Amino acid sequence: MTALGPVWAIAVKDLRIGRTEIMSLVQAVTLPVNYLLMMVLFVLAGGAQPTAVVMLDHGHYAQEFVTALEQSRTYKIQFMTQAAADAQMQAGKLVTEVTIPAGFDRAVAAHQPMTVPVTYDNLNEDLWDDGTRGMRLALASFYAKASPGQVPVTVAEHDEYPGDTGYIPFLALSVVVIAVMVAGLLQAGNATAREYDQNTIKGLLLAPVRPWQILSGRMLGAYLMSLPALAVVLAVVVLAVGDDPLHLLLALAVALFTLAVFVPAGVLLGTVTRDRQLVAIFTRGLPVPLFFLSGVFAPLSFQTRAVQDIGQLMPVHWAIILVQYAFKGFGTGTLPLAADAAILAGYLALFTVLSAAAFLLTRRIRTAPVPLRPRAAPPARRQPA
Amino acid sequence: MTLATPRAAWPTLPAPAAPAVSLAQVTARYKGAERASVDRLSLAVHRGEIFGLLGPNGSGKTTTINMIIGLMAPSRGTVQVFGRDPASEAARRLMGVVTQETALYERLSARDNLALYAALYGYRGQQKRQRVAAALQLADLAQVADKRAGTFSGGMARRLQIGRALLHSPQLVVLDEPTLGVDPVQRADLWNHIRALRDAGKTVLLTTNVMDEASALCDRIAIIHGGRLAAPVDTPAALQRGRGAVITVAAEADHDDLAKACAVLDADPDVTDVTATRGPSPGLYQVLVTAGDAGGVTGKVIMHLTAGGVVIRDVATRTASLDEVFLAVTGSFQAAS
Repeated sequence: MTALGPVWAIAVKDLRIGRTEIMSLVQAVTLPVNYLLMMVLFVLAGGAQPTAVVMLDHGHYAQEFVTALEQSRTYKIQFMTQAAADAQMQAGKLVTEVTIPAGFDRAVAAHQPMTVPVTYDNLNEDLWDDGTRGMRLALASFYAKASPGQVPVTVAEHDEYPGDTGYIPFLALSVVVIAVMVAGLLQAGNATAREYDQNTIKGLLLAPVRPWQILSGRMLGAYLMSLPALAVVLAVVVLAVGDDPLHLLLALAVALFTLAVFVPAGVLLGTVTRDRQLVAIFTRGLPVPLFFLSGVFAPLSFQTRAVQDIGQLMPVHWAIILVQYAFKGFGTGTLPLAADAAILAGYLALFTVLSAAAFLLTRRIRTAPVPLRPRAAPPARRQPA
Repeated sequence: MTLATPRAAWPTLPAPAAPAVSLAQVTARYKGAERASVDRLSLAVHRGEIFGLLGPNGSGKTTTINMIIGLMAPSRGTVQVFGRDPASEAARRLMGVVTQETALYERLSARDNLALYAALYGYRGQQKRQRVAAALQLADLAQVADKRAGTFSGGMARRLQIGRALLHSPQLVVLDEPTLGVDPVQRADLWNHIRALRDAGKTVLLTTNVMDEASALCDRIAIIHGGRLAAPVDTPAALQRGRGAVITVAAEADHDDLAKACAVLDADPDVTDVTATRGPSPGLYQVLVTAGDAGGVTGKVIMHLTAGGVVIRDVATRTASLDEVFLAVTGSFQAAS
């Protein structure tokens, strides 16, 4: 008998059970795709603001001002009458209402003061902030164009990376890491907790196999079961979002390596909780807020010190750096890539050791030591004849 | 059942001196518990016998079994299986265990359940298929081999579990309440299997609450209560004899007179226990007297009762049943404790 025989047998058992639990598989696939969808909606909601422009002057400068508004990348402009704009603002369909007053062109040409009435929907500060920031930018660029030589300061722009990456494709790379994390935790956690839930762990413990064989079999099974989820998410990110990997093999290797980190974490979770409901709650609940602290929206180094410190404790942070490099060549970390990979490998070792320790501790029912004491005299009783 | 020799090298059994199971002064106390679940328990299960471990719920049976199968370490004392640590790989190869809960992979077929364990015990290829087929045959599940275990009735699940435990031809078979949820026909069949195991030289250790089962199957019995032996380990017949005779008296008497007469009877050193219950009509009672020896005591019973003003209608004498032995030793033990 080879030592790997039982390992493979346990993995195959988990794969066969996993195949019958379609919902678990669907969950592992849909959860990360839902995160991606959620982020897309989030980005779209925070994108260009629906803005009404009421043109009471159609002159050259008025047109230039509207162009400046459009180029600020803040407003989604619709032209309408004052009455229609007011009605839509009251109905909550507009964020900004700009009225270009009559006599705008004449006043600009004569360098006379001119006030442009702007109404913001200050439903929340974020909307108001975006609106006012865009307006100042539009005004500055309009002024520079309308009065050449009057603005002596200009900027020479330079891009760090050769191509621009849309915000959604940027976020989607982090979703690959979410997918790996959710799939690994869910599949390994479920498979492990199921053994305790249904008490089948007893059968494994009574068989002549070693703890490392049981653990390795479980990890292998969970790893293989997580691959379909990973494949679906990679397909969505590459084919639907358009994130073509710059280094295809490296991207695959990083995704598979990251999965290898979260599978033992799932085994640890399942061993400690011994409850599939708790595994599901933990997998959906806790890692997500932690994930958002790990450099999803922007590199972690842009964040406050406290956020950086928390984020660096999360294995997802290091995985995100590696995924971003593999797909886009980004260098969003502060350490060399080899160091990032080594830290992730450290997490793999840590989770493996912790899951093994948890399993070994729960393998035998622990009893309290009994201190040596003289044997007590038997109680007075009527002995059976 | 003829099964192929496993591919793995099986541990050779130590010299026959080592009993199949031995417990020496074993104490087990759960963390945080005030008293020990098993308290200085010593017993030996001989090779080739069917040994019954009996006891009421909470008596320490399951704790004892958990220590014997290596799932629990004793707080103190020594547990050995064929002279080995029960948690060792060698001991686990020698044991087949049927736990109280069925604990099968419900989403796997009967065949896949058995195939997993065949692989864990080191069988591969043709040998594995043979073992699985033999276990299915033994469990009488060959016709439903490819159905999910989750769809099985309680009896079928229990049989699959037994097939799984016997798949590797263990030397010691531990059965924790094996007939729980099994219908009478299947139970009789299972009893035959258990006897066949003994006849094939295997050792069987079983726990049960069903005295008929213990009486019909077990060569020797240990009754434990409060984590201790409540009676010396012996054969069911010897335990019944040791408990002595049960004298049943149909009596007619005034309640107070009968109570006084019973008290006098109970004080007699030859009498173990006296209970009186109301009969079918007022003034009629049934007095149950247990005693070490029926011969001398029957006369005393009649004498004490008639002296107390009790009219005796009928007297019957018989040997105590195992149920009565069980109730008597666990009851008296509990009262004394």
